[in-house]
Amino acid sequence: MNIEEYISSGIVESYVLGLTEKDERAEFEKMCLLHPEIKAARDSFELLLEKQAMASTVQPPDKVKDNIFAIIKNESLSSSRVITMSEPGSIQAPVAKINWMRYLAAAAVLLLIASTALNVYFFSQVNNYRSQYANLLAKQEQLASNNNSLEARLQSFESAIAMIKDPNTDIVKMPGAPTSPVPGSLATVYWNNRTKDVYLMVNNLPNPQSGKQYQLWAIVDGKPVDAGVFDTQTALTLVKMKNIPKAQAFAITLENAGGSLTPTMNQMYVIGNVET
Amino acid sequence: MGTTPSYTEPELVKMLKARDEQSFSYLYSNYSGALYSIILQIVADHDLANDVLQEVFINIWRKIDSYDQSKGRLFTWMLNISRNAAIDFLRSKAYQNSKKNQEFPEVLHVGNGDQMTQMNIDNIGLKKIVYKLKAESRVLIDLAYFKGYTHEEIAELEKIPLGTVKTRIRSALIQLREHIK
Repeated sequence: MNIEEYISSGIVESYVLGLTEKDERAEFEKMCLLHPEIKAARDSFELLLEKQAMASTVQPPDKVKDNIFAIIKNESLSSSRVITMSEPGSIQAPVAKINWMRYLAAAAVLLLIASTALNVYFFSQVNNYRSQYANLLAKQEQLASNNNSLEARLQSFESAIAMIKDPNTDIVKMPGAPTSPVPGSLATVYWNNRTKDVYLMVNNLPNPQSGKQYQLWAIVDGKPVDAGVFDTQTALTLVKMKNIPKAQAFAITLENAGGSLTPTMNQMYVIGNVET
Repeated sequence: MGTTPSYTEPELVKMLKARDEQSFSYLYSNYSGALYSIILQIVADHDLANDVLQEVFINIWRKIDSYDQSKGRLFTWMLNISRNAAIDFLRSKAYQNSKKNQEFPEVLHVGNGDQMTQMNIDNIGLKKIVYKLKAESRVLIDLAYFKGYTHEEIAELEKIPLGTVKTRIRSALIQLREHIK
C-alpha cells in the first residue's frame, strides 16, 4: 500500500477522531514519524476539525468554571507541598521563604513587646510628670499668694512710713500711766492733723488674756471717745485706727473683747497728751 | 476573548505543564464552549454535560503531563478526552439506570431559567454535519463516534461482518471530512 492510498483510506480521520483500534493507532503513529506527508495530512484534518468545533460552541454555565477552579486551586495547594518534597532544586526557595516569614513574625512579636513596654513606661512617666506638674502649679500658686501678701504688707509699710514722714503728722507718745497695771508700757499714736487719720504703734504692751482686747481712746474735751480696738500682734507695726477729728490726749485701756462704750479707768495702761 | 492574552499552542502547553493557573483559565475560556458542545452532542442533557465538562477539565489539568505534542494537537487531545468522558458517562451504571426510568428525548435545553428554548442536538457541531450523510453512514458514525460502540459491537448490532463495519466507517469518515470542508 502506498502512502497516498494510506492517507486517503480514512485512517487519518479515524485516528484523529479516536476511532482506531489499539494496533492501528500504534501503526499510524509510527507512519507519521516516518512520513511527513502523513503527519501533514493528520495536522490538516486536526485543524479542520478544530476550526469546525470552534465555530460551533455552546457556552457552559459559569458554575462549572467555578467548580473546576475551586478543585484545581485546592489541588495545587496540596501538590505544591509534594513538589517541595520531591524536587531537590526547589527546596531552597520554600524553606528560605518559610524562614524569612518566621523571622519576620518573630521580629513583629519582639517589636510588639518592645512597643508595649515603652507604652507602659511612657504612660507611668506621663503620670509622674502630671503629678509633678500639679505640685509645681500648687507651689507656684502658693508663692504667688505669698508674694501678694508680702506686697500688701510692703505697701502698708510704705504707706506707714510715708505717713510718719508726712510733716502734718503729729506724734503722740503714750507712756505708762501712773496707775498702769504695767508701768513700763509704751505706745505711740501718729495723728495726721490734716486728714485726721489715726495710726497706732505698740512699743510695749503685755499680751492680753483671752477674751480681752486693748481699746484706744481719744480724750476730747475731757471725754473719752472710742478710737477702735486692736490686737497687739498687728499693732506691733502700725495699725490704722478710727478717724479722730479732734483730741487733746490718747489713752489705751484693756477691755472685754470687742471693746466697751466707756473706758475701764483702772485698766488704763498708757496715756499721752497731744502737743500743741 | 479579546481581553485575554493569546498563547501559541506550545507556549500554552508549556505553561499548563508548569501548573500555571492563568494559562488554564485561558484554556477554559478558549475551549470550554467547543468541548461542552461535543459533550452535549453525546450526553444530550445540560446537567449531565456540566458534570462531564467539569470532569474533563479536571482531567486535562491533572493529565497534561501525559499529553504528547508529537501525537497531535492539544485540541484533538482534549476533544478525545471529552468524547471518552461523555461516552463513559453514557455507559455508567447510574446513567443506564436513570435511562430505564425515562426515555431520553434527544433534545437539550439552551438558555437559562424560564425562558428555555429547545434546541435539537442534531443541529449543533459535528452531529449536524453527520446528519448530512447518507443514512447508512450516519448510523455507523452515530454508533461509533457518538455512542462509542466498538466495531465488534456494531457488527453484532447491525448484523454486518466486522470487516465491512470497518470499511464503511472509514468511508463514512472520508465523506464527513468532505462535508466539514
